[in-house]
Amino acid sequence: MFYLSQVEQNLKMPPHLLKPSLLDGELEKGIRGELEKRFLDKVITNLGLCISVYDIQSFEGGFIFPGDDGCATYKVRCRLVMFQPFVGEVIVGKIESCDEFGLQVSLGFFSDIRIPERFMVQPCHRGEDGIWVWQFKVDNEEFQYSLDIDEEIRFRVASVKYPPTPVEQSENSKPFSPMEITGYINGDGLGLVSWW
Amino acid sequence: MKIEKANAGNLTNFEVFDFLRSRGATSDPMGCIGSVSPSECKVFEYLSGSPACMQTRESVNEFFRKADKFEFITSFEKLNIVNSTPTVMPALYATIKDCDKRIAKEEEQIAKENQLEEDQLQELLELVKEIFPQPAEEQEELSQ
Repeated sequence: MFYLSQVEQNLKMPPHLLKPSLLDGELEKGIRGELEKRFLDKVITNLGLCISVYDIQSFEGGFIFPGDDGCATYKVRCRLVMFQPFVGEVIVGKIESCDEFGLQVSLGFFSDIRIPERFMVQPCHRGEDGIWVWQFKVDNEEFQYSLDIDEEIRFRVASVKYPPTPVEQSENSKPFSPMEITGYINGDGLGLVSWW
Repeated sequence: MKIEKANAGNLTNFEVFDFLRSRGATSDPMGCIGSVSPSECKVFEYLSGSPACMQTRESVNEFFRKADKFEFITSFEKLNIVNSTPTVMPALYATIKDCDKRIAKEEEQIAKENQLEEDQLQELLELVKEIFPQPAEEQEELSQ
């Protein structure tokens, strides 16, 4: 689910952040703060969602270039903790909502996980209250298992996509999600945790 | 920004949990303010609800060492197993991709080998249960 990514960034440190850092001898803390502001909670295409700054390996420079409002530019090399599940990984999440296309699962810190109908346990149908129900038949007996909201669900990652940022969006469209995970639950051990 | 190394190493959920804990994250969201950001707090909250919060560095290392003898699982699958600690066979099937296809080799040997590999899967499951025991309250619930 998580892995480290090493990046190099030209970081501009504004003077009001530099002054306290340099005086206290805590330049690294100031740089860390700026890195967090830059990367935390942001999605980097093909790398994933940045969760945290793991460590700062080196920083150099500190030159003030003309026209930069007095910002000192440092070349920082650091490692970031990225969240990007690999295809085939099994993750437990909570069902956040369901619609006619399938389920939406959330992990708390990340909610753009969809399980479309074709990837759900078969056969299943949507009840009148909107909740998806799995009809399980064994020995001529039929059991109905419903996929309720807020239930813990174990799913396998089918794909991780990074749709390009739309240039224009109409007012009613879904808010843009930079990272979308599709999962499936039609397999042994998958589906609601309480089923197994 | 230049990406020097896209993947500088996989992290188990436990390692991320431990890292956030050492930075000052706690289960109490109000207590986190100042030391870690709210988004890091959310990740910590998620990991606190997963098996990762009960693990230790030694138990994770021990599992990787002992799981080496099971040749049919890849390192990604070992990571998957550590992160989800399956306790029942269907959950283990879910973590190992195409488990039945990989295990059944040639047609004539299927019956004998299936039994052999089933035993290995059972052994793997026992290893997981031994190294990552379930928390006491869950066991109480089960016995009730």
